[in-house]
Amino acid sequence: MVTIAGLTSGGCALLVFVSEECPTSAMALRRLGPLCRDWREAGLTAIAVFEDPLEIAVRVARRLGWAGEVASQDPPYETSRSYRLVSVPTTVLVDRAGAIAGTVTGWDHAALAALIGRAGALLGTELPIPEAAEPLRKPGCSSKAAIDPELAAAMSAPSGSDDVEEMFERGWTDGLPVIPPTQERVEAMLSGCDGQISLGLVPPAMGEATLERVAACAVLAGCRPAYFPVVVAAAQASLDPAFNLHGQAVTTQPAGQLLVVNGPVREAIGLNSGMGALGPGFRANLTIGRALRLLVTLTGGAMPGGLDRATLGHMGKIGFCIAEDEETSPWEPLHVERGFDSGQSVVTVIGSDAPLSISDHRSRTPEDLAWILAWAAASAWSTNWWPLEEPSVFVICPEHAEMFRAAGWTKQRLRDFMFEAVHRPAAELRRGETTPFVHAADPAARVPKWASPEAIVLIVAGGEAGRYSAVLGPCTGMGSQIVSREVGSPWPLTT
Amino acid sequence: MAADYVSPFDERVRVPEPLAARRAGISGRRVVLLDIRKNRGAEFLDQIETQLRAAGAPTARRAKEIFSKPARLTLIDEIADDADLVIEALAD
Repeated sequence: MVTIAGLTSGGCALLVFVSEECPTSAMALRRLGPLCRDWREAGLTAIAVFEDPLEIAVRVARRLGWAGEVASQDPPYETSRSYRLVSVPTTVLVDRAGAIAGTVTGWDHAALAALIGRAGALLGTELPIPEAAEPLRKPGCSSKAAIDPELAAAMSAPSGSDDVEEMFERGWTDGLPVIPPTQERVEAMLSGCDGQISLGLVPPAMGEATLERVAACAVLAGCRPAYFPVVVAAAQASLDPAFNLHGQAVTTQPAGQLLVVNGPVREAIGLNSGMGALGPGFRANLTIGRALRLLVTLTGGAMPGGLDRATLGHMGKIGFCIAEDEETSPWEPLHVERGFDSGQSVVTVIGSDAPLSISDHRSRTPEDLAWILAWAAASAWSTNWWPLEEPSVFVICPEHAEMFRAAGWTKQRLRDFMFEAVHRPAAELRRGETTPFVHAADPAARVPKWASPEAIVLIVAGGEAGRYSAVLGPCTGMGSQIVSREVGSPWPLTT
Repeated sequence: MAADYVSPFDERVRVPEPLAARRAGISGRRVVLLDIRKNRGAEFLDQIETQLRAAGAPTARRAKEIFSKPARLTLIDEIADDADLVIEALAD
């Protein structure tokens, strides 16, 4: 409970009565706010007394840089009435005895300087005063205490409009709160691109992915405009028919769309490829992946339980964007493998299951480590589903990568070794779900886990300490191919 | 006043295609059995085909390229030209 006695116990108090809706109040808070700390040290406690609910008072005070105390009052505004307020802002100096030592109505720089000078005199010190900036005088607004109590109560009632809640009501969400896509935010996201340009139809509902809608999804996801070229490249790659987004969007499988970013754009926009590379903590990673998923879910209509029929799904379907640690990797990065120059920024999309962590702190040879990594994926998709046509993505942590570097292993050597390591006789795979390939094979025939070494994708990412790599199983049966698109070439996109 | 938001949805109104008239019976009707290439879907269609022929309906088989993609428009047109009825099977 704020009391005058409490405020003046160390000296004097300066009460600044304000209201959220009043521009002059806002100006007073902004101009007086930075002085509050010096005043407090000299014995003058400044308090902004809002005629608004406390949550609004705190938010407005923080936004305007008010460094003093904050109080609020509800209708019928007893505090304002007791000071016979007519308008806000009104600034009242209260002396040590609790008596009113002076009042200034509205913004009046000279009168306020005199009032603060008087406070200084009461405290026996000199107090800083606000700069003499235009406007030197500005009238305020009516105090809510000075108008009909019933009308004041109606004016202060919650409006019911909460833009974040409204997004839920509209269904413009993946289940988490979103940033409302106002015209201004979408315009900023477009960064000069023509919003009417179409990237194509987004399955399964075949909504047209105009750049304006892609930008709306990026805003909803929480992207900064600097991320938008990556979001656009991810959308372009995902809409390539070779990726078969249609099948991935509606399948009962858990698969989502994994984005792997390579090239200079990683550092430019703050994509994390180091510690916690597959986890939380980095806005660029989390929101870029989420923007693509919102495009699929909203523009494409693949709402879980609706056209998205995933039995379980996985958390990566909220958004899954990782960056490769090219600087730590002993090998050529993914985009160079796929035909791009190392200096190009590229997004690669891969239909992908959730990651499975692979701990190995004990291997002392590259052969042992490669064997452990490869066999961790033996149950990818399903225990006896051999061979897999679609890619399994191995995220190799830096300490594991270092072992291969020290031994001089190329990426292809590791891939070939892993491929050869994981074979089983067909007879051992004929239990439960298995493939027609296994059924047709000679019982003694050695069946590989992957159809070819090229189904093993290797990238490097993660923190420098800890020997945990990971494998992400595939989305199978879709005929989905890995697709890569260069970021921001050309940019901005215009007609 | 409500804020002016940019919708992420394609809000064009689509008019649904009307369904074709339902057939009173199957005798003498040309039936296309569409295999979407799901695992063991063909076996299911074999059983259906046997019963259809016994009921006097001539049958023909068609297949999608892969179950996870929409059928080619040319395939849909062929079926529309060749059939009075179509049966699409899902299995696994």
